[in-house]
Amino acid sequence: MESAMDDLHVAVVERADAALDVAAALDFVSDPRFGGISVFVGKVRDFNLGRQVVGISYDLFVPLALRTFRNIGERARAEIGAPMKLYIAHAKGDLGLGDLAVVVAAGTPHRAEAFRACRLAIEAVKHEAPIWKQEHYVDGDSAWSEGCSLCEQPSEGAQDHSGHDGHGHAH
Amino acid sequence: MKVRIALYGALREADPRGHLELDVPPGSTIADLRELLAAHLREHAPQVNAGLVRISAFASSEEILHNHREVPADLELAVLPPVSGG
Repeated sequence: MESAMDDLHVAVVERADAALDVAAALDFVSDPRFGGISVFVGKVRDFNLGRQVVGISYDLFVPLALRTFRNIGERARAEIGAPMKLYIAHAKGDLGLGDLAVVVAAGTPHRAEAFRACRLAIEAVKHEAPIWKQEHYVDGDSAWSEGCSLCEQPSEGAQDHSGHDGHGHAH
Repeated sequence: MKVRIALYGALREADPRGHLELDVPPGSTIADLRELLAAHLREHAPQVNAGLVRISAFASSEEILHNHREVPADLELAVLPPVSGG
């Protein structure tokens, strides 16, 4: 559906080309119909699992990641059952501390749908999109993060993952 | 038939080219391909944890291919270790 496409923006942004742009996300989901906008911004932080982090490299399988983002958008639309604009962008490449890793924004008529759509989308991006994080530590060592296996079908309730992670890594 | 498999995440370290090629009997399933890849890594890339293949997914650029699916001919596949975006 063309209008559906117009209401969904998905992107993978190479860090060497540009930083993710929160203002652009807010602008995209703004609409005279919408009184509520919710935004999630994920940034590179300085400490994980007891180790001092100095940067992160993100590897993505881009065509499938974009398709996954679109599927997540359509699922969010069906779940919310209200008019919605959704923006999902993820960074690729070498990021430093404080750099933006992911930006998700949802615009809807009221705040409840906006929060729900944003939460659903970011949890699904983390658990379903083909994206891998390699952390670089202050001692020069690097490690790929443990993650969520894609072998199983995605769970129905993204909320199940939102509080406590059953697979042993805090994200 | 030859199947080209793109490598991502921790499995990238199995081959500096970022992909590898396996000879796969026609009619093989993704489950068969998984065994072949694990065996290949044990032999040619001991620095990589071949056990990772057991919890990795196979995919085309359009979808995840589950174990029962037949390996498509003439299509580059990707092997996707557990994901950690965001």
